[in-house]
Amino acid sequence: MHRQNYCMARLFLILLLLPPLLLTGCKSDERILEKLGLVQTASYDLAENNRIKVTSCVPVIDPNSSVRRELLSTVSDSIKEAGIMFSRQTDLTVVSGQLRDALFGLKLAKAGLGDYIDTLLRDPSIALGVKVTIINGDAGEILAKEYKPHTDTGRYINHLLEKEAAGNSIPNTTLYEFSRDYNDDGIDPVAPIVRDSGDKAVIDGIALFQEDRYRMKIPAQDGIFFGLFRDDLRQGEVALHLGEEAGRPAVVMFSSLLNSRKVKVHRLGADRFKVELLANIQGSVLEYTGHHSLNKAGIRQQLERDIADVIMAKAKEMVLQMQQHNVDSLGIGIQVRNSLSYKEWNQMNWREVYPQVEIACKAKVTIKDYGKYM
Amino acid sequence: MEPDTQNIPTLRHILNEFDQCADLSHRRFPELSADIVYFPHTVDNNLLIQEILRPFDRLQADGLDKLFLQSQFVETRESKAVVVGILEGCVAVFHGEAVYLLDAYGQEGRSVQQSETETVIAGPHDAFVESAPTNLSLIRRRIKSSHLKIIQCEIGEISKTTVYILYIKDIANLKYVRDLQNRINRIETDAINDGGTLTQFIEDMPNSVFPQFLTTERPDVAVSKLAAGRIITIVDNSPTAISAPSSFFEFFSSPDDYYQRWALGTGLRLLRFLALVITISFTAMYVSVTTFHYEMIPEALLRTLAESRNRVPFPPVYEALLMEIMIELLREAGARLPTKIGQTIGIVGGIVIGQAAVQAGLTSNVLIIAVASSAIASFVIPSYMMSASIRLIRFGIIILTGIWGNIGLVMGIALIVIHLSNLTSLGSSYLTPIAPMKTGDWKDVFIRAPFSKLNSRPSQSKTMNSIRQKNKK
Repeated sequence: MHRQNYCMARLFLILLLLPPLLLTGCKSDERILEKLGLVQTASYDLAENNRIKVTSCVPVIDPNSSVRRELLSTVSDSIKEAGIMFSRQTDLTVVSGQLRDALFGLKLAKAGLGDYIDTLLRDPSIALGVKVTIINGDAGEILAKEYKPHTDTGRYINHLLEKEAAGNSIPNTTLYEFSRDYNDDGIDPVAPIVRDSGDKAVIDGIALFQEDRYRMKIPAQDGIFFGLFRDDLRQGEVALHLGEEAGRPAVVMFSSLLNSRKVKVHRLGADRFKVELLANIQGSVLEYTGHHSLNKAGIRQQLERDIADVIMAKAKEMVLQMQQHNVDSLGIGIQVRNSLSYKEWNQMNWREVYPQVEIACKAKVTIKDYGKYM
Repeated sequence: MEPDTQNIPTLRHILNEFDQCADLSHRRFPELSADIVYFPHTVDNNLLIQEILRPFDRLQADGLDKLFLQSQFVETRESKAVVVGILEGCVAVFHGEAVYLLDAYGQEGRSVQQSETETVIAGPHDAFVESAPTNLSLIRRRIKSSHLKIIQCEIGEISKTTVYILYIKDIANLKYVRDLQNRINRIETDAINDGGTLTQFIEDMPNSVFPQFLTTERPDVAVSKLAAGRIITIVDNSPTAISAPSSFFEFFSSPDDYYQRWALGTGLRLLRFLALVITISFTAMYVSVTTFHYEMIPEALLRTLAESRNRVPFPPVYEALLMEIMIELLREAGARLPTKIGQTIGIVGGIVIGQAAVQAGLTSNVLIIAVASSAIASFVIPSYMMSASIRLIRFGIIILTGIWGNIGLVMGIALIVIHLSNLTSLGSSYLTPIAPMKTGDWKDVFIRAPFSKLNSRPSQSKTMNSIRQKNKK
């Protein structure tokens, strides 16, 4: 009986407390979906006097409207200030919780992205999975352009990057990865570059940063080689030119790539290191235009060595360029750091040591299968 | 007026007691100087003819005394007992000074039919009916054991409803039996019409929305509960049997689980728990996402969701409550109407809710999917009582999400869990086997393991004989 009374008392208490809650509510926190301007893609460019030009792409959700998206553009001193300016241009509450892709113009990337990445990270409504993309040219222009038949350029670029990153020819760079590599010791961030090619937006390559500043670019067709030496891969494909055979180019299309990367660090002297990058690559040959018959084991092993040679040559050239630009995009610093004590690493200036490191790229290729025919 | 004279059952006195009872039948046999008094509608006509009318026809006045020596004639010396006897379907025979009662109770009511509320696809299809003796016979036929004990009680000052408490000696815990018996004996009310009413008198916490005793219309379920060491209560004139003690998770199992292969049974069980989650949270999720958490919407769904909300003039909470109330109205109307009209309701409701509401811009079609799926999910729960309770608390959760979004949803679920863990059924925890944690029971609660693994009775029945079967290897 006592328990029942207790229960009743509690029920009354709840009934007493509920109406005021309902009346006051949390009106200010409400973000009712159709009243929001959901920024899905935003672009940032360097404008005059070190100001930035921010362009945001907001989908128009009225099904009767012929326009599918609305562009908001402004020049301001900061990203958040631009947000305030946007709300003066539209009847919707502009929110950034649906942001998928942040496009940075090349000029801005050269000047350094650190502050802007920081602003994006600070906003709790912005996910860590927002893609960071560099635009070779003016990011606002490419976003404003319409690429037929795509109605929404932002989404088009986003899906393009997503699909390409799945094949590992470009890195899938998100805010999380960019800022992790930026803040980590011994690795520099990378990001995909996209450029406008008239009627299409195309992947231009991989942008390599020193700290937060853009330094150099790896062309799109070499992206996969960069990937092979940067990380373990589960997926990917590559077309390799093995020179000429009987007057026509011999091409091997190497698909379903599986790669495991290993790094060995040898200390040669006080600030001298030798780093061996070892890529163990497995895959299937889906196209082979050479004249040898692949069902002979010896031929296959020769082909494996040829492929490895091409990959190693590409990698060597790439690493040399990176050392020249002093960008440690492969994370060699991390490996060196791991081989040293904390004190030794702290005493060393990695930026000065890195260009002198002897980097050897080795590849071991295994052909898992060579197609079904023959 | 002395009590002595009142207690002697005379014909005049009895007839006086049943004054103005037009349905009472009083027949005289002047040549035998006998009178019989009974209610024709509670008496089996064949029995009456066989036991009284035919012998009376054959016999002379002096043979009558010999007839009354037969054991079916019980001599009664108390007026009150005679009155009660007649009410319970006895024929009172007045012969000289003596009064005899002959039990000729005839059952009135429908024959054993399928259950409307608890249907199964495979397995026995008979269900309890309103007559308790029939119900008891359905159970006795299934448990041919002298260990099946039946305690009889009576409740209701006016209705004098008979209540039977069934348990299996050596399996059921006598503490529970005594507790249940005490609770039933403590009831002081005028009339009880159904097992569903009785549970509310004997539950541990009658103010809770959740039913604390499982009710069933199926004898096979009742028997399985008995064998598991639980206690079954049967109320006369009600097809509802009460099983006690019960746990929250018991309401999510159906006899079908045991009649099909175990993998199917397991799948169905898991599906029902999924249905519980969907019922409680689907509409609420819609409200919280569209009101507060636009960040959570996947890119592919964003445009669809926003477009469907575009024309709706209300905030999502009101929209959701409107639709939920509509569905409940439809359900209730369908339940109360005869089947033929009920179909019309289904069609009208389908058009109004499915099409017109969206076209008129009153609701978004994504909400309709959410509301419909949570309504469908609520019907997946086999116990009607439990599914009704869960549908009710859903409204509370929708309001909470309308105020606080996902925090409200989590708060609502937390409140439900807190409340559930506070509940007891006959003093045992309602959340068994989660709290107290009895992992051994899980294989018969969350999944339906193969029978070779179901070797012990549920811990909740606190049986002293927990081994159900021995596996011979």
